Amino acid sequence: MKRWLGVYAVGFFAFLHLPLITLAIFSFNSSRFTVWEHFSLDWYRAIFRDPELVEATWNSVIVALAATVISTVIGTMCAYALWKKKSSLVTGTLYLSLVTPEIVTGISLLALFQWMFRSLHWHLGLYTVILAHVAFSIAYVVIVISARLRTISPSLEEAALDLGAKEWGAFFYVILPALGPGIIAAALLALTVSFDDYVITSMVAGVDSQTLPMVIYAMARRGASPVINAISALITVFFGILIVISEQVREA
Amino acid sequence: MKLRTWFVLPTWVWMAGLFAAPFAIILGYSFLTRGAYGGVEQPWTMENYKRLIDPLYLIILMRSFAMAMVATVLCLVLAFPAALFISQAPKYKNLYLQLVMLPFWTSFLVRTYAWLFLLRDTGLINTFLEKIGLIHSPLPLLYNNGAVLLGLVYGYLPFMVLPIYATLERLDPSLPEAAADLGARPWTTLLRVIVPLSRSGIIAGAVLVFIPCLGTYLTSDLLGGGRTVLVGNLVQSQFTTARDWPFGAAVSMLLMLLVTLLVWGFLRRESEQLA
Amino acid sequence: MNRRYFLLGMTGVAALASCGPSKPRLNVYNWSAYVAPDTISNFEAEFGVKVRYATYESNEEMLAKVITGNSGWDIVFPTYTRIKPMLDYGLLQTLNHDLLPSLNNLDPRFRKPVWDPELKWNTPYMWFGTGIAYNKSLQPPLTRWADLWDSRLKGRMTMLDDPEDMLGACLKKIGLSFNSTNPAELERAKQEALTQKPLVQAYLNAEVRDQMVSGDVLAAQMWATTAQQAVDAAPQQLGFAYPQEGFPLYCDCAVILRESERAELAHKFLEYLLRPKVAAGSADYTRVATANGAAKAFLPDATRNSPTLYPPQEVLDRGEWPQPLPPAAQSMRDKIWTEIKSS
Repeated sequence: MKRWLGVYAVGFFAFLHLPLITLAIFSFNSSRFTVWEHFSLDWYRAIFRDPELVEATWNSVIVALAATVISTVIGTMCAYALWKKKSSLVTGTLYLSLVTPEIVTGISLLALFQWMFRSLHWHLGLYTVILAHVAFSIAYVVIVISARLRTISPSLEEAALDLGAKEWGAFFYVILPALGPGIIAAALLALTVSFDDYVITSMVAGVDSQTLPMVIYAMARRGASPVINAISALITVFFGILIVISEQVREA
Repeated sequence: MKLRTWFVLPTWVWMAGLFAAPFAIILGYSFLTRGAYGGVEQPWTMENYKRLIDPLYLIILMRSFAMAMVATVLCLVLAFPAALFISQAPKYKNLYLQLVMLPFWTSFLVRTYAWLFLLRDTGLINTFLEKIGLIHSPLPLLYNNGAVLLGLVYGYLPFMVLPIYATLERLDPSLPEAAADLGARPWTTLLRVIVPLSRSGIIAGAVLVFIPCLGTYLTSDLLGGGRTVLVGNLVQSQFTTARDWPFGAAVSMLLMLLVTLLVWGFLRRESEQLA
Repeated sequence: MNRRYFLLGMTGVAALASCGPSKPRLNVYNWSAYVAPDTISNFEAEFGVKVRYATYESNEEMLAKVITGNSGWDIVFPTYTRIKPMLDYGLLQTLNHDLLPSLNNLDPRFRKPVWDPELKWNTPYMWFGTGIAYNKSLQPPLTRWADLWDSRLKGRMTMLDDPEDMLGACLKKIGLSFNSTNPAELERAKQEALTQKPLVQAYLNAEVRDQMVSGDVLAAQMWATTAQQAVDAAPQQLGFAYPQEGFPLYCDCAVILRESERAELAHKFLEYLLRPKVAAGSADYTRVATANGAAKAFLPDATRNSPTLYPPQEVLDRGEWPQPLPPAAQSMRDKIWTEIKSS
């Protein structure tokens, strides 16, 4: 059984990474089509000549990090609260936020911001993007953490309280560590959802807040240029390095 | 005040401000009339909802539900063994998790275009198959429901893997061991011990996959070649080319209502069974 | 804890942002790939300003941002059909012709355009038509919309994913007006589209360019600019035709938003865009036809004589400018479009 699982895992990861590997290989192709012409770094050079791209990447990173941290913290707290005492209102609202099609969320948030800002003379900006991202990420975090919480017996916390811990202590020193891998899973999910979001971001982004998906989308709709392949390859390498580093840090 | 009240407050505030308020706006939109050039204007009307009662739109809804259902099931079947593998891995669990997520930190659009690149008539897969002589003319791998399903399943795999992993990781290894000791074959242990114990993860994953699949439009647009209209495409087009925001809002409301009822009914049954 | 720092940080950022910028600013919102790579930077260098230049993919996307009159943008580029609606919503500023002497550079056809005869609100920027791009292996070459209904094209042909263009082609095929609002006529157009659907591989916009070049697709309804890019990549293989039955023409125009407080600088930008060399640079790079007549002298011969971008007069005479449609007609067309796509 274990062996089959291992074989399956290899196949699974290969399937997951196939499109990316293809992209990476063809990012070195001087031609933009399936036919291999010759090896070329042109597309990579094109990236660095584009200041808009660099700024957009930076914006995406800021937004994703901020939104992930905020939504994971808020979402974990909320999942805990729901675990102690159910609330169909909160649960229902969270599910509803998940169900709403992205364009609807985007348009409604835009309408809300525009209506609010009219009198204040504020403008859309990176902060509105972060606010929006947190709003749609909370549901993901709550769902993942709740699933994890259901595997934790309430007696764990009771025992801690019996031993004299305050509620906060029981949460921080008993429940939270037990949630550990769940929190990581939820944070990864929130990061992914935020980093890759196009529809909602494009609606609530301000004049100065282009993000990477917006730039890529514009390029791709004009007929996918291999510059996009190069960007994706670079992003993958970057995150890959981050992952390796974090593994080293964890081992140490 | 109890801790749990404090803890739920931030979510309360955020949802009230950034979800409930916009939701109210969209609800309002659904009862208004389309502006001549987009946007909304008076008078208030039920017209948009009346328009919905048309076989055209109901078929679109049904088709979307079917597609999402199939995609969710496929996702589950593919993701579960992977989640099991990762949760049972002696070390590098986080590494595997991040490897699962890694492709998804590149743009969704880019990954979809990569599939286009692979599945086209002159794409990599067809070219390869023709080169090794397995086929003589290109297989129509693109611009059909199969391609859309592939795109959906691929795009939402991590959403299934992560919650299932989160529950499997807490699985007490002595339980499957006990089952083995009692003479159960591995397959039986899997189906009758492990799967039921990871139930909450499976349900969470199913919800996280099914619901976004319903609202998808980019995948069906790009991989389906715009040949089918799913409810996500319908809503999208109302807010863009058709410039009929109220109708788009009405369709969204109907979709949200149906899904809420579905999920609520399903979850109620679940908690009843547990009790 | 995190939220507190976040809020503090945001207040700090807001405070910083409210300090005046060091250089004058201009915010320009344009279609993607509509200027040459150095157009903006040259403007910034010459006038000592900073330009925030961002792009959009559709008029609706732009309008959704701009419609409240508080978007932060100074200049946008709507397609001409959106100019009247924007006027109705009070979104536009009148142009001061004293600041725009180069308006004379415009091609005579665009000096008194139908949508704004006095050029009070806009300067026409780039224009293009819709036609048929085809692989030259198809003999005889395609010349009519009706040719796209030929069964030998089955599975190798695409149409535009745009209701206006696609329904327009159907209407033109049966000899009706592009702007028809008559339900019976639209129903006939719908039937045409449904007849064609089994032959259509997909409804694609600019993405189909690469597939034309690689030979996946033999014929496609395409905008002239995309077609030009495809022909550039494979001149021996590909051709482009403006259909005999008639075709639509589009023009994207530059406007200054009423909310803009930098009218003078905005005018300078429009004036800059009207310079022949600048216009020529953008037009050649982006492969779109420029509305600037004086610029044509600065285009390379191949571009200036391209029948795709600058068709001869007798071809142009077959083209028409689509009109904005009343909401009822729009709803009808949209329902038909949904029916076609979901069949």
